[in-house]
Amino acid sequence: MLVLRKWLGVSVIALVSAFSASADQQPAGNTTTAADSPLSAEELKNAASVDALTVPTPGEFFKAIEKGGKPNWTSQYRPPVSIKSTDRAQMALNLGTLIADGYIAVEAHDGQQVKNVGKDVLALAKRLSVSQSVLARSASITQFAENDAWDQLNEELEATQNEVKKALEENRDTDLITLVSIGGWIRGTEVVTGLVLQNYSADDARLLRQPALVSFLKNKLTKLPGKLQKDPVVQNVNRDLDGIQKMVSFSADHVPTEGEVKDLNLAASKLTKEIGAPE
Amino acid sequence: MRRLILATFAACLIVTSHGLAETDDQVTARSDVIDLAGAFQNDGFKIRDGNFLGQISKDHSQIVAVNLYSGNAYWFTASTGQKVDKLKVSLFDDAGKPVSYMPYQSGPRAAAGFSPDASGLYYVKVALEEGQPATFCLIYSYK
Repeated sequence: MLVLRKWLGVSVIALVSAFSASADQQPAGNTTTAADSPLSAEELKNAASVDALTVPTPGEFFKAIEKGGKPNWTSQYRPPVSIKSTDRAQMALNLGTLIADGYIAVEAHDGQQVKNVGKDVLALAKRLSVSQSVLARSASITQFAENDAWDQLNEELEATQNEVKKALEENRDTDLITLVSIGGWIRGTEVVTGLVLQNYSADDARLLRQPALVSFLKNKLTKLPGKLQKDPVVQNVNRDLDGIQKMVSFSADHVPTEGEVKDLNLAASKLTKEIGAPE
Repeated sequence: MRRLILATFAACLIVTSHGLAETDDQVTARSDVIDLAGAFQNDGFKIRDGNFLGQISKDHSQIVAVNLYSGNAYWFTASTGQKVDKLKVSLFDDAGKPVSYMPYQSGPRAAAGFSPDASGLYYVKVALEEGQPATFCLIYSYK
């Protein structure tokens, strides 16, 4: 924690240096503050939730687990997923899980795996009619993978995910965006819980507290059109997320036990498999 | 009748294009906030490829829900891109109580640095302390 505070402090210095020419600047140095008034019930009720900021990327989740030491990322690889289904909801969910697989390969610094996952993402994107957005990124992803440019790859993956969502929006497939996010989060949870179980620590287990996030995703599911809500895969996801929501909704001072992490891992793994299962 | 249909279609196109296209103010605010957040990149912070664009005035702040991970460090950065404004970014926990953060204010640009002790929901408040109603852009960086 102290180290993090120090990092933030260094950043403040960088920030102040970068903008020292500004006349009305009021740098606060590395002081901290909690003097703000609490938010009112009305403010909390009207707070905005947007996919682009409210739902963390798998990369962000993975960055947090790395703080406890270098995880064995390759242990979290899974066999290639063959999606023969024409169910667009299932394809969108799978696209999310595949993008998360891309982040795992980047964290593992495995260029070949990045390219393999990239091909799977492209194939699925083509079937969802959003391949142009992925194609535009795939060349640079391959290039970065060959040059071991892992930071840039992380950025490209995030940009690819956003391009896919933007293309879905342009194609009036806005409802599928939620499913891409859900797929990514479920696979990310499967991976992080798997890594926590390999080398259990309280700090890592605490990462799994995400009650509001699951609530946000579930709320988005309830707003899907009736036809999508009746989709068997979406119904499975909705039902299983109920159980997962309970598992990640613990108080801030609770540390999930190894058994609790295992239960969450089993639930996330089961759902990932259901999403990837042929129809 | 045909004219009416054509006129309605044209009106729809105009409304749609206005809904999709970014305004100059939005472009300015986003460009400025990315410039500000760039200062953190040298220190290893990665800018998340996503933003929130909103309207703000002295009487109307904007609050955005975010889900953060303990162990990560974050900088939330906002800007209106308008020279006369004075912006403030502050942070709150899931119950709306203020948390300790590292503040930064420089006219239309503001930021808050935070390392959460607990993973979960937090709120980012962007308030305009001085200036006319404006468009702002909020982004965040993490490491």
